[in-house]
Amino acid sequence: MTRCGVFLCECGGNISGVLDLPALAAGGRSLDGVVNVTVSQFLCGAEGRRLIEGVVADRGLDRIVIGSCSRRFQGPTFERIARDLELGENTVAFANLREGCAFIHRHEPEKAQRKAETVLAAAVARAGRQRPLQPSRTFLNRSALVVGGGIAGLSAAEELAGAGITVHLVERGQSLGGYMARLSKTFPTEDCAMCSLGPRLANAATDSRINVHTLTEVTGLSGPPGEFRVRLRHSPRFVSDQCVGCGTCTAVCPVELESEFDLGVTRRKAISRPFANAVPSTFAIDNRGWAPCTSTCPAHTAAQGYIALAAQGRWAEAYRVASAPNPFPSVCGRICPHECEEQCTRGRLDQPVAIAAIKRFVADQAGAADPVEPPVRRFEDRVAVVGAGPAGLTAARDLALLGYPVTVFEAQGVAGGMLRLGVPEYRLPRDVVASEVERVLAHGVELRAGERCGHDYTVDSLLASGYRAVLLALGLPQARLLPLEGRELPGVIGGLDLLRSRALGDPIAVGRCVVVVGGGDVAVDAARTALRLGAERVTIACIEDRATLPAQPGELAEAIAEGVELAPSLMPVALLGDGALSSIRFQPCTLAEPDARGWRPPEPSAGEPVEVEADTVVFCVGQALGEDALAGAAGVAVAGGRIVVDRETMMTGRRGVFAAGDAAGGGLIAIEAIAAGARAARGIHNHLRGEALLDVWPVERERAEVSDLELSRRRSRPRQEMRVIPPEERRTSWQEVRLGFTEEEALAEARRCLSCGGCSECRSCEQACPAGAIDLTQKPWEEELTVGALIVATGHQEFDARRKPPLGYGRYANVLTQSQLARLLSASGPTGGELRRPSDGQVPKRVFMLQCVGSRDSTSRGNEHCSAICCLFATLHASLIRESYPGTQVTIAYTDLRMPGKGHEEYLKLVAERGVRYVRSRVGELAEEQDKSLRVRWEDTVTGGKHEELFDLVVLSAGLEASAGTTQIARVIGLQQGAAGFLKEYHPKLRPVDSQRAGIFIAGTAQGPKGIPETIAQAKAAAARVTSMLHGGMAATPVEVAFSDPDVCIGCGVCVSVCPQGAVRLVDGGRVHALVDQASCRGCGICAAECPSGAMTVGGFSDAALLAEATV
Amino acid sequence: MNVPVVAEAEPTAPAVAATEVRVAQVRVPEISAAGVPVSEVIADAADGERSIVAFLCRECAYSAADAAGNARTSLPPTIRTIMVPCTGRVSPLHLLAALAEGADGVYVAGCLEGQCHHRVGNFHALDRVAFVRRLLRSVGVEPERAAMFTMSAADTPRFVATARGMDATISQLPRLPRS
Repeated sequence: MTRCGVFLCECGGNISGVLDLPALAAGGRSLDGVVNVTVSQFLCGAEGRRLIEGVVADRGLDRIVIGSCSRRFQGPTFERIARDLELGENTVAFANLREGCAFIHRHEPEKAQRKAETVLAAAVARAGRQRPLQPSRTFLNRSALVVGGGIAGLSAAEELAGAGITVHLVERGQSLGGYMARLSKTFPTEDCAMCSLGPRLANAATDSRINVHTLTEVTGLSGPPGEFRVRLRHSPRFVSDQCVGCGTCTAVCPVELESEFDLGVTRRKAISRPFANAVPSTFAIDNRGWAPCTSTCPAHTAAQGYIALAAQGRWAEAYRVASAPNPFPSVCGRICPHECEEQCTRGRLDQPVAIAAIKRFVADQAGAADPVEPPVRRFEDRVAVVGAGPAGLTAARDLALLGYPVTVFEAQGVAGGMLRLGVPEYRLPRDVVASEVERVLAHGVELRAGERCGHDYTVDSLLASGYRAVLLALGLPQARLLPLEGRELPGVIGGLDLLRSRALGDPIAVGRCVVVVGGGDVAVDAARTALRLGAERVTIACIEDRATLPAQPGELAEAIAEGVELAPSLMPVALLGDGALSSIRFQPCTLAEPDARGWRPPEPSAGEPVEVEADTVVFCVGQALGEDALAGAAGVAVAGGRIVVDRETMMTGRRGVFAAGDAAGGGLIAIEAIAAGARAARGIHNHLRGEALLDVWPVERERAEVSDLELSRRRSRPRQEMRVIPPEERRTSWQEVRLGFTEEEALAEARRCLSCGGCSECRSCEQACPAGAIDLTQKPWEEELTVGALIVATGHQEFDARRKPPLGYGRYANVLTQSQLARLLSASGPTGGELRRPSDGQVPKRVFMLQCVGSRDSTSRGNEHCSAICCLFATLHASLIRESYPGTQVTIAYTDLRMPGKGHEEYLKLVAERGVRYVRSRVGELAEEQDKSLRVRWEDTVTGGKHEELFDLVVLSAGLEASAGTTQIARVIGLQQGAAGFLKEYHPKLRPVDSQRAGIFIAGTAQGPKGIPETIAQAKAAAARVTSMLHGGMAATPVEVAFSDPDVCIGCGVCVSVCPQGAVRLVDGGRVHALVDQASCRGCGICAAECPSGAMTVGGFSDAALLAEATV
Repeated sequence: MNVPVVAEAEPTAPAVAATEVRVAQVRVPEISAAGVPVSEVIADAADGERSIVAFLCRECAYSAADAAGNARTSLPPTIRTIMVPCTGRVSPLHLLAALAEGADGVYVAGCLEGQCHHRVGNFHALDRVAFVRRLLRSVGVEPERAAMFTMSAADTPRFVATARGMDATISQLPRLPRS
């Protein structure tokens, strides 16, 4: 049983004038649990306090009931008395006798008295059910996270650091400075923006208590106020701290992108620094990932890199990029099926960039002159490469570059493998292959041609003779023949044999009627070769239909143009002839569904067998490892006709023996074999050095995508078509069919590249940087910080005036926004502060400024609010223009002139006197004239008169909206946004810089449109809020928060789903139950009302207390 | 058997009903234990002073009530107010217990829609009051004995109007017997 004391206040007659307090006291004494009732004249004063202290001590009270004014007025006074008397929290109950009774029932004293009795009884009953609570204390981390590096964030950070609080200043962009860094001058003083911002920037860079995190985003927030845990994601800068800010890199960077800092009025390089005073002062590379071409290429060639360099005619540098992963750029420029072009973003706009053709031109142009660099260091471990095809030679070159002595063994008399012996010369001239093979050998690679593995030497003998590693790049030199009846007839040959004989100049004859069996590239090559060898009729017969034929479509089309016939969906069943081949019989067929390995066997379909006249049949139906090639190679396993290798190391089952290319993969195109050879070289290096020094498989980057919106702003430019020899001329000629680009064509084609990846990874900057600061290996990384409080100062963005199509922004060259004009007027801007209109660089004589673009606009395309600064922004710019160009007239068309604030009206008068014309008006559509001037029609809203005038430049005062970063952070950390995305404050007047979440404060234009002085004032107010919150290091948790009894909780999680603060979570402590983070809880009690088990309660407002009060 | 059915009258709209709870129109026949319609049992109960318990949120409605008091506005003495941190704290149990233990009417008053200091507490309260009204109707008790109002802290006139309206509504109804 509790011991309750009741104290009734007369309130100097306010209460006792209506209620009979002695009678109320008398009734109170008989209530359960009441041990004492006292009446006082003024309970809230010092006398009342002494009275309560005395009675509590004398009568041993543990509960106090106050009958006085509303709890909202003097409640804290009496709660403090109870606290001081160590009765605990939640030991006082209140009977509202003044606002709740005496004041409102003055004319009905009898009824008032009866109600007072009930109210008092309710309070006493409630007191009996109030459980004393002890507040817990939480640790406060004396650090703060400031999100946004603009003037608001900088000011807040500076203030916090001054109070001794550690600050983490997080900025998405590459430099601090925010919007203010873009401004030329500021109103109404016309002082330079950078002059006031510069010292703030310098301070942030040097203050040891401010940790600057640029290129960083907040990705998560957890934990209670005072001990927030913040997840940060740092994007790589690709430039290390060694950067001295010299700018050499930007001069050599070939990639130009739209400058975000200059709001699109100029272009910048992929490596850049937005402005000279940037903090940090280091440059950064805008690398958005791999362009689709680079992603798609099996060797991940930086195609965008050599294209960017080619676009500037930097052929030698382009060759360096193209040849880095691939010693055969000239070959691949000719024969690669270029899947990269299928993926090219430009294909979504018009046609893909002719990547392969550019590469061919680059390699032909600069390959021969490219110097061969000696390796940086040399190792003594000798490596044998078996097979001088693309895989073997790539591995040989890469190993030579790594410093190994390499010997390449080749069974044939010439090096080049399939490039030399398989691909016919009209596609790939022999001298092209020969010169690239020569370049590989120039790295010091020894070639031993005419020695066959398994015959002249074996793997065993190589290892025994001192080679530390052997790479088997044997290829698949054996043509497969189908086991058909009549196979042994003369005139039945393998496609590879035909191509090889022709390539080696061996005598070979084909008949009059040639049938090529097979649908791949080799079949097409064999057919066209047969044609050039004099066959009259050449037919390609394949089991696939036209649509699924595996041959490259371009090659097939050229073959058909030359007269090759195509007979699809036929399976050969017999070769007929008496002593000599006379015909081949086919059965019409379809392909079965793919089996487990993806192979689709032919199935005979209805229809009569077809007999085709043939004196030569060429089988191009697959290839196999050479016979005996693996003799003396114990431990090297073969499965499915291919050498088995470990994917991660490229090693076979035998230690020190590796395999790559067709022999290990099968059916590879040249660039795949080249990529495999390069992997093998890295695998061998790791093996010989005994540690994983190189990634065998390149670490892939995210694929950079260009949005449809961005794409829609690019102009269409058709692809350069390559000239070819006409079909009638070429069917009898071994001349190369495709003639390649001229320099003009190559330049024009390279300039079509959209630079999807931003940085093209051409590495020009890496070579040029005198400080060695470029580091393209940097990766994004995450970290978690613990901070006591957050300030969100993520700023605004300009309203996108494209949303107002009649104003022509984005379509008409000479329509700008005020922010863009600020860049043109800035001494450090792209024009050095000279006002030049974009279309022709002339100084405009007539400037028109249009106010309220996207502001005070209740249509769905605009925002309802007034953006607050635009009238002054336009006035400032008009003043600056009039000052520098007295011959230029400025007209400001406004809705209303709104510029309250200190010195603003005076400034307006001054500027108007300088000859700026202000017209109160409504503007219709803008029209562009032939000379790019703009015809503006408006209605004067004072006189009603209609006007039409020509202007050289139109400037739109586009309003303010919350920035994209503001929306992003609001989502991540759970802040409410109002109209136009601005952050909602806790209370617009009383708590203007508090957010809805405890411990998170807001400042600057993220909260609403405002000028620089108000922004700084808010930032410093937010800093003051953080300082007072974190002062002392510890905080008492309010007791009026939710609490869940783990013994009663059934773990249903309803509380978790309803909590507006996200303060409740389920934990598994043997049994799943709810746990309230009391520092985040704001005590609304929604959870307690929803809780089905009664486990959840709220301090001070338990069910027991509320029911006691409600049911008297 | 001819089962008597409680007359299903539309709930009489209180004087102020701008943010009235919408109640699903369900017809649930109900009779008392004695087979007599519940409304008749209630009508037989001894008449007298009505009693209304009002749950006011600390942020808006209680502020408005205090302001009404300070302005010495006359209010019906039938209404007794209880402070809650947020209308979201009020559960159906609180409302039903008050009705069972002597109140003839109950209501919840909180912040305007979209302006709840705990974002959504008043929406929860709206749902729960609607639930209580359905429950009352299903047992043959007039649903208008439970209501929900929203108002800003500054809107004293609205607090006064809703209090008087609720008093007027309840005074039209017979007293509820105490359980």
